[in-house]
Amino acid sequence: MAIGLTLTYLTTKVPNFAYGSIVTIGIYSALSFYSLYGISPYGALPVAFILGSLTSAAIYLGILRTLARRGSSLVGLMIATLAIDIAFVGIFGLYSDYLYTAHRVIYATNFPQLPGDFSLFGVPGIAFAAPYSLAMITLGLFALLTETKFGVAMRASIENPSLARVLGINVEAVYIFAWMLAGGFAAMSGAYYSLWLPGGIDVGSKLIVEIFASSVLGGLASIYGAALGGVIIGASEILITTAGVDVFGSSVGIYQKGIPLVFMIITLLVLPQGLVSLKVGKAVRLIRTLTFARLLKYLHLRGN
Amino acid sequence: MLSVPSVIIFGIDIVTFSVDLLVIYAIYLVVSLTLNLEAGYSGIPNFGKAMFVAGGAAVAGSVSGRLSAFIVGINFSGDYSNSAPVIINKLNAALSLNPILSVEILLLGVALAAGIGAALGYLASYPAIRLREDYLGMLLLASAQFFQIFLRSYPPVIGGVQGIEVPDFFGWANTGPGARDIVILGVVILFAVSVYIYCERVARSPLGRTLRAIRDNEVASRALGKDDVAIRKRVIVVASAISGMAGALLTFYVESVGPDTWSRQDWTFPFWVIIILGGAANNSGVALGAFTYAFILKTTDKAKFLLQGILPSTTFNYLQYLTFASLLVLVLALRPEGILPEKPSLTLKRQSVAAIIETRATAPHQKREDSSLKEDG
Repeated sequence: MAIGLTLTYLTTKVPNFAYGSIVTIGIYSALSFYSLYGISPYGALPVAFILGSLTSAAIYLGILRTLARRGSSLVGLMIATLAIDIAFVGIFGLYSDYLYTAHRVIYATNFPQLPGDFSLFGVPGIAFAAPYSLAMITLGLFALLTETKFGVAMRASIENPSLARVLGINVEAVYIFAWMLAGGFAAMSGAYYSLWLPGGIDVGSKLIVEIFASSVLGGLASIYGAALGGVIIGASEILITTAGVDVFGSSVGIYQKGIPLVFMIITLLVLPQGLVSLKVGKAVRLIRTLTFARLLKYLHLRGN
Repeated sequence: MLSVPSVIIFGIDIVTFSVDLLVIYAIYLVVSLTLNLEAGYSGIPNFGKAMFVAGGAAVAGSVSGRLSAFIVGINFSGDYSNSAPVIINKLNAALSLNPILSVEILLLGVALAAGIGAALGYLASYPAIRLREDYLGMLLLASAQFFQIFLRSYPPVIGGVQGIEVPDFFGWANTGPGARDIVILGVVILFAVSVYIYCERVARSPLGRTLRAIRDNEVASRALGKDDVAIRKRVIVVASAISGMAGALLTFYVESVGPDTWSRQDWTFPFWVIIILGGAANNSGVALGAFTYAFILKTTDKAKFLLQGILPSTTFNYLQYLTFASLLVLVLALRPEGILPEKPSLTLKRQSVAAIIETRATAPHQKREDSSLKEDG
């Protein structure tokens, strides 16, 4: 999820508060597929991806770009994304009311995790599927950004839009693509989310804190940082809470949601550029300069 | 014996409805004015307004009930939040016979709320003066969300999920039907008017001009010797204290406080709608925006109540969210300066400006060392 947020932040430099709602789109496509047709949330993944990317592009084209062209300030754009987020809570609410009245789907505003997961060695399949897709998405993005001409154009438009424009890159198209990709990932993660945790109309809006924390921790300007940040926030939330419950008893479990916030505050005050600004940098720079193919070759050589 | 006539049109009691509308309007106005002070004049994007209002409401609700039960001498077993439903009637009866005590506890609650608001504001101001506006917005939004989770999951404050009932400190005023609400209306309007006057005075003072200078060009104002860090800190603390007081008054009006009220949708977003709609950095615009918002909110609430059987009431809530969000985006796109745009601050009275122009016109070459002119610079 954080990867997508970072992508949208990179392109428009606006923290996208509506991003969480696109996650909810994924959750609701999974719910609809499951409750109307009995299809497992895995089957909803492609639809979620398409819906998410279309919505995300619509938000960018229809609202943010229009407002930016009319000279809205940064704060104005932030409020606009906040408004979109709240509009989405309304839309999902109406949709659940519709599901209830038209299809008798109960608990549509707040439902438990969805069944339909397969299991592998007695462990729910999602425990394999989610990390696997995270790895695939990160690698895929990495390959896209370093190996393809389009990826290079994308990096160029993100880092220096005016120069990229001079070189004949269609910066607008690149931005739209980035937003679509981001929306797609978000909605997909929403479909995964519904397999693991209870869903509801404002789940996405509440998740936004964790998503922001991951992005900020990783460094808002780095896609790889976002993946790292997501893993750290997710894991620490669970690990610290479990440890805390062991030590202080179950009453501390409720503060689980405070952990991302604490991380965010510490990162912002101590390391505002995020983890990627750390001077582990040598390794990072090495990876950055190596192209994907050379990296593979390098690994291959070492394997021999 | 004060009693309020009831005028019923279309099955709605217009007087009760208007009183309720005006009370809510006054409270919204106060919070919007403080947000205007922060966001409109000083450029601090406070996306965590819910936290400061909730802080005030929670402490007022939490302390006032326990304290009054202690003073009146009602014993309860276990925690107050659990026994409140049992003792609340006895408590209200005792309090309504003792107006002085009621008012004292009421004032104490409001003062505590101001204190907690200021404390939260002071905490928030620590990152506020160090971060860029986008990071700050995220941080405040996240803090407000966590604060709500804290209220919900830590029962000793306001009873966790269910919330707690708060005694009625206006029971002594209830001499006739609706009289209590009229008294509350008087109190909140007095409060709102004083906050309005205060904000307007700040806006017109040299401090107000300094705030705008910092908002528009931080570096330049710093170069002119303005301590932007200290000034921002002061703005956040004062604005948060007033928001806390507004939260306390709301709690005393509705006689209960629960955690689910203080969501971003209901207690941060509306104030942004109000100041964007009415016009940022313009207090009269904010007053207009707050009225528009409160009016739409309360009439649709009423419609929700009347159409209960036909449409599920949740549908109306969702439609409200959708309406206000679309309204905000439309205003941002079509009239970003709001209904009443920001105006250059008026520092002198119209007559004195006219007098100055006249003296200038009659004696154009004469240099004047008028102190009233200097004040403007």
